[in-house]
Amino acid sequence: MNDNTKPKETTLSFEKIKQDVLRPMQTHRGLELWIVFLIAVIAVCGWAYYVQLRDGLGVTGMRDYVSWGLYIANFVFFVAVSLVGMLISSILGLLKVDWIAPISRIAEIIAVAFVAVAGLVIVLDMGRPDRLLNVFIHGRFQSPILWDVTVVTTYLVISLLLLILPMIPDLAICKKEMTNASPLLKKVYSILSFGYTNTPQQHKHLHRMVRTLMVLIVPVGLAIHTVTSWLFAATLRNGWDTTIFGPYFVAGAFVAGAAGLVIAMYFFRVNYKLQDYLTDLHFDKMGKLMVAVCLVYIYFNVNEFLVPGYKMKSGDNTHLKELFLGSWAIMFWASQLLGNIIPVILMVNKRFRKPLPLMIISLFVLASAWFKRYVIVIPTMLHPHLPIQNVPDNFKHYFPTPIEIAIIVLSFALALLIMTVLAKIFPVVPICEIAEKEGIDYKIED
Amino acid sequence: MKNTFNILATIILVLSLSATVCAEGWDVPASVKKKQNPYELTKRNISSGKKIFQTTCKSCHGDPGKGNMLPLQPPPTDLGSQNFLVQTDGEIFHKIRTGKGAMPTFEKTLSDESKWMVIAYLRSLDKMKREAVVTKAVVNPEVTDVKIDIDVDSEHKKLIAELTGLKKDGKRVGLEGIELSFLVKRAFGQLDISGEEAYTNEKGQLIVQFPTDLPGDREGQANLLVKITDEDNYGPIEEKRVVSIAVPTNPKNILSERAMWGTRANAPIWIIATYVLGVIGIWGVIFLILFQLFQLSKMRVKSK
Ligand code: HEC
Repeated sequence: MNDNTKPKETTLSFEKIKQDVLRPMQTHRGLELWIVFLIAVIAVCGWAYYVQLRDGLGVTGMRDYVSWGLYIANFVFFVAVSLVGMLISSILGLLKVDWIAPISRIAEIIAVAFVAVAGLVIVLDMGRPDRLLNVFIHGRFQSPILWDVTVVTTYLVISLLLLILPMIPDLAICKKEMTNASPLLKKVYSILSFGYTNTPQQHKHLHRMVRTLMVLIVPVGLAIHTVTSWLFAATLRNGWDTTIFGPYFVAGAFVAGAAGLVIAMYFFRVNYKLQDYLTDLHFDKMGKLMVAVCLVYIYFNVNEFLVPGYKMKSGDNTHLKELFLGSWAIMFWASQLLGNIIPVILMVNKRFRKPLPLMIISLFVLASAWFKRYVIVIPTMLHPHLPIQNVPDNFKHYFPTPIEIAIIVLSFALALLIMTVLAKIFPVVPICEIAEKEGIDYKIED
Repeated sequence: MKNTFNILATIILVLSLSATVCAEGWDVPASVKKKQNPYELTKRNISSGKKIFQTTCKSCHGDPGKGNMLPLQPPPTDLGSQNFLVQTDGEIFHKIRTGKGAMPTFEKTLSDESKWMVIAYLRSLDKMKREAVVTKAVVNPEVTDVKIDIDVDSEHKKLIAELTGLKKDGKRVGLEGIELSFLVKRAFGQLDISGEEAYTNEKGQLIVQFPTDLPGDREGQANLLVKITDEDNYGPIEEKRVVSIAVPTNPKNILSERAMWGTRANAPIWIIATYVLGVIGIWGVIFLILFQLFQLSKMRVKSK
């Protein structure tokens, strides 16, 4: 990988932007190999899922006490990462922060891929997925499960719209330029460009729609992660029974999502040779954004643990001691230090906001975010209010089985595959928007 | 060094103290020893003593004669053993009253009468004194096919139970002086309505007043169970009956109100409203945008 970090003083023309962005979509050996690899991984891990379907959830490490294991932790993680779409393209977009133009589509791709797979992870966690419809047939309005299903689907739809609508001008270009695309793909371009020719009227109309969606996704995005937190906080359990769980999850989601975005940006920049668009400036800004969201998250963490830790109510007592000093201490402190505190200390430094160092920091942040979810879900299940007594030994501990781990790998491979396919058929950097920002005039012919 | 010495000294002191506590026997004044049980060993007294024993003493002392007491140190004595029963009534009474070590004092928790009843029960197990029991109790004839018949006087809410058995000559006779339990089934467990002196009379009958305020179901029905209190008498004999003399009540099912814990149909209105309005609101906008999306291509036609 050659990471070209020196700023280039090239003047961009519409032709050049078009070429730079569309080229990697047309010929890219590495990309095709990568897709083949992902499909192979999915096939192998799909077998693990088949085993689980055939033999039931007994093949997992979950038992009566720990009934939410790796899968639910992973679900929370996926929902968290998907929130980056709302953070970047909607919140910052509405605030008219203009440096996000080239990265907002990547954020939206991440949002779509991760929220789609998040929904799927829930199905993967079911012993009898054929009963999924019962959630809708018998779902109770009082149950956060029903809200969660509703809100995840809604977020997926709005994210898809927020991916496609701003892309309509670019798709009109694709329709014209991608002459050697497959007929099916051409059809997709033709349908999804909705006959856009960039007339002033169309331009205005489209922008109005996009703005409405950007507003709409803010409450839905907040809801998706708040409701996910309520799945926990609506129960009376040690470590979950807290009033700040909603904002705590949202803050954590911004950290995870921002880290995910930086990693994706880095790989597109290098592999798609988009150094002129995903510039050092964008990484620098993302680094600063991450410092901000990490600080907010640290603030929430302090509240989440200091307040109950100060009182040490019975129940919380066992739970917190296990987290701080007991068998969860390594995972707990590693996720706090490597995922929050050390990254902040590094990222306030300009040198660490360069693309490569920032990407490496983000890898740590993202991995820590994943383990953080694990530490949120499993220890609480192991610390019920009534002592665990007279049960088989394997009820008292939880460790994911290879089948569970394989299914988690499956979910990651699937998310990456969705991202890759989207990035293969759609331009990852908005062509027309950048041209507009650069003040370049362009025309789209029908 | 000095510390070690202190610790050692303390340990020795504590050990010797506790040793004296252990070694200390029951110290029963001679005057008390002479006391005799003022209550006779009638069946009635013995069975009420047995009831008290089973609720307050059995948890530690186990069943008399079975040696299944709690493994305490010193162990609670087997109160049915002959070794123990050589003691006088007064001695036992004093020990129950004062207690010692793990043996609690029953000075306040049991009335003197109850204490004597327990002693009567223990005495009935005494091989040396058993004769006394038999002579003092009502003697019922040898019978088989013992059964309870229940009659209900709905007007006065009275229950009449008749305990009878079949004599050898084929005649059915009433059994006297047997304690019966009248139990009414409630939501959790059974309510004992037998009253104080629930013993059959010479005809084998027992009349019990059914509580006038006891709630039943919608039709005022309640499940009644009458049984011989002490199975040692004729074995487990009981009779069940649905009586319609309880106060008719419309039981309120807490699942039938609107509540967070209710079924979907009984969800609180506000939560249904929030959900439905939220979904309609958000999806309304989504559909509006989809609709506008298709107008986009119409605009092209116009602009051409
Ligand atoms: C908490 C457990 C416990 C309960 C309840 C209890 N006892 Fe005891 N009892 C003991 C223990 C232990 C001893 C032996 C004490 C000792 O020797 O230091 C004992 C001793 C006695 C003794 C003296 C035995 C002897 O060897 O002289 C009598 C009598 C006695 N209990 C009667 C009763 C009666 C009657 C009741 C119920 C009303 C009763 N206990 C309830 C634990 C209990």
